[in-house]
Amino acid sequence: MARYVLRRVLLALPALFGLVLLTFVLTRVIPGDPAAALAGDSATPAQIAEIRVKYGLDRPILEQALVHIRQVLTGDFGRSIFSGRPVTEEIAQRLPATLELTFAALFLATVIGIPLGLVAALNHNGPVDQLVRLLSVGGLAIASFWLALMLQLVFAMDLDILPLRGRVDVDLGLPPTVTGLATIDSLLAGRFDQFRDAIWHLVLPAVTLCLPGLASIARFTRSGMLEALQKDFVLYARAAGYGSFRLYTIYVLRNAVTATVTQIGLLFGALISGAVAVEAIYDWPGLGTYAVQAIVTADYKALLAVTLVVGVVYAVVNVLVDLAQALIDPRVAEDVR
Amino acid sequence: MRRLALLLTALLLAVPAAQAEAPRPMVWGDSLAATLDPHAIFDVPSQFILLNAYDGLYRYQGNPPRLEPWLATGTTTSEDGLTWEFTLRDGVKFHDGTVMTAEDVVYSFRRLLAMNRAPAAAFSPVLKAENVTAPAPNKVRFVLSQPYAPFLSAMPLVAIVNSKLVQANTVNDDWGATWLAAHDAGSGAYMVDPDTYRARTSLDFNRFRDHFLGWSHNRNPFDQVRARPILETSTRVLALQRGEIDASDSYLPTDQVERVERNNRTRVQKDESMRVFIIRMNNRKPPFDNLDARLCFAHAFNYEGFNNIILRGFVIRNAGPNPNSLWGNPPDLAPYAFDLAKAKEHCDRARAAGAPLNREIEIHLQTELEQTTQAAQMFQADLRRLGINLKIVPNTWANITASTSRPETTPDSWIHWVSAYFIDPENWIGQMYDSRFHGTWKASSWYRNPRVDELLTRARTSLDQAEREKLYQEATRLVVADSPDIWVYNTVNLRGVSRRVQGWNFSPVGSGGELRTLWAQQ
Repeated sequence: MARYVLRRVLLALPALFGLVLLTFVLTRVIPGDPAAALAGDSATPAQIAEIRVKYGLDRPILEQALVHIRQVLTGDFGRSIFSGRPVTEEIAQRLPATLELTFAALFLATVIGIPLGLVAALNHNGPVDQLVRLLSVGGLAIASFWLALMLQLVFAMDLDILPLRGRVDVDLGLPPTVTGLATIDSLLAGRFDQFRDAIWHLVLPAVTLCLPGLASIARFTRSGMLEALQKDFVLYARAAGYGSFRLYTIYVLRNAVTATVTQIGLLFGALISGAVAVEAIYDWPGLGTYAVQAIVTADYKALLAVTLVVGVVYAVVNVLVDLAQALIDPRVAEDVR
Repeated sequence: MRRLALLLTALLLAVPAAQAEAPRPMVWGDSLAATLDPHAIFDVPSQFILLNAYDGLYRYQGNPPRLEPWLATGTTTSEDGLTWEFTLRDGVKFHDGTVMTAEDVVYSFRRLLAMNRAPAAAFSPVLKAENVTAPAPNKVRFVLSQPYAPFLSAMPLVAIVNSKLVQANTVNDDWGATWLAAHDAGSGAYMVDPDTYRARTSLDFNRFRDHFLGWSHNRNPFDQVRARPILETSTRVLALQRGEIDASDSYLPTDQVERVERNNRTRVQKDESMRVFIIRMNNRKPPFDNLDARLCFAHAFNYEGFNNIILRGFVIRNAGPNPNSLWGNPPDLAPYAFDLAKAKEHCDRARAAGAPLNREIEIHLQTELEQTTQAAQMFQADLRRLGINLKIVPNTWANITASTSRPETTPDSWIHWVSAYFIDPENWIGQMYDSRFHGTWKASSWYRNPRVDELLTRARTSLDQAEREKLYQEATRLVVADSPDIWVYNTVNLRGVSRRVQGWNFSPVGSGGELRTLWAQQ
């Protein structure tokens, strides 16, 4: 198992290095002049040229790439050319908000999606299966910005039972930062009012974000279950008199969710990088809105850092997924050996 | 009777004056600047920081804006217009209690010029750092390298910083830039709470009780103002209606005005501003190097339809490059009118002269600003009737302005606004149509007319206001006749506000973001 994990980690490193190079090239070939953006309104060409020299933007692209790699290896993403503040610091403020939202969405998608898929498979082609199919198609088809607006109008404006926007109530504020996750930090601070408020603020964005993931988890679980139900061990277990609940929720489900776990890993990456619309509408101060601002202002340093951070999170989650698969189905690790 | 009066007096004295309850903090929903450093950036959001955390030597007040002495009590100018001397107010305190001196003003200008970022643009061509001096503890002297009439008008752009505090936080000769990006070193009516500051996300302002103007003008000021910008327009409007924020941005979409007005806790603050909506044409590239082609386009834009139907009349038709309400406009200046027959005549003439009007002509718009899309789509439909194919290219401000450094890379056409950075025709016609500014986004139509250049140069250097007015009027007539761009409207600022907030003191510079006069209705 240790060898398996090591192999997975080592495989992730060249991917990350490739990502560093690729993102650098991409952000330098797209149109837009960071020096002009930095100089701001009313700047003269001479001011823009001076900034270009100051930030090394006049140097050969290869030299800029080497400087960038050296900085990344030392954990220094430089300063945002727009705000003048260390990019690492800005990302450290934003990343926990996105992670918290992503975890919440993934949690909802998993705890609802897997049972839905299970129930659908057990009622194969029955009314419940049809209903789950309808929900799955709907979940994948509904545009998140539309759903977000509708949820805001109903639950925040009309019923007035959930917050409209933001991560915390303006009056309560955020708890002292330990992990950056408002839910955890409020518990660590013993502030249950802040904890309740943080959960309350999470509901609508997490529900909006989770829907496509929930649909795909339900579909994967359903097809995995249908396949596993055809296996001989199910017949044997039934013959041996295993109770239905125990048989389906422990033995069949364990054989059925391998593909679902992979899907959850992929979803995590998709959610973390795809939360832009949800973050914008719910005014969630996360990485998605930060990336959009970086694009609009041609802040390439911030953009590089965001891409890399998302890439690292994605790679880590993939390693964890591989590990989870090996734990659920030891044959996965055996195969590698 | 006398005894009764005494008893009543005693009773009145015994009962403490009813303490006015401190108002609930105001929540500001407009955008925050990328940095808090007032010398590093200059755009509309940064003026919110400039106007509230800082003070300048002069400040614009009211609408139309009046230039008023602020940290200065007045100024004198030498006859040749090169030496300007400002006398400072006594007893102005910075937020840490330090008293402001002339050295702080000298340091602020030297920092501004050394950093040489956008706010320095108005000064760097005429002012060298060593020519800002303090001949006395309450006097500051500026010696310009050439006369520059808008010098005083541009003075409010510069925030005066606490030099000792900034120097104490300077690392690697960075002029304290890293520290000041997230802190304040000003004397303004509100102080930044650095602990709450998260770039572009949140910022709390606390009232500075020792502000040099005092607070007697305001019966119930907000002790705390919390800036919580909301990115998405629909969420911003909903948050305002719900009472989560007290002020939206100042560009409320016109289709939301009625909705905000209908809500019993909100209303729309409407103020004519100085922000001109312009469709640029690249006069250096065919077909817009041809006057008839430009006139064709100027007559093909449906001003009435855009201003009064799409924007529901919440704007004012603007005839030329300067806002209507500014001095320097000819009183009889007539705007171009939508007239497709006339447009066709000009187009035919342009085609006959070889202007390539049959090629696809690009118009670049700023994707995040809906009005630019609406204008481009309407223009596209009308030009199609003249056989002209206008291609809409979605783009961003950063990309477009970067491309305007050379005529070859400047788009055929693009849409933007020119805001009020300082109140002088130099901010509009001066920087847009004098060819010395070619290479900047403001001069991106690449217009060149030697007579206009001469008039604008003279207007820039003359110290005689009557003469300047005449020069700008003549230059404006010539520019409008040459039709280098399409001037559409002057903006009416529309800010959705909570009815509990009163005392709005709108000035076009800063888009009404000054908090000092705002008070809470009980």
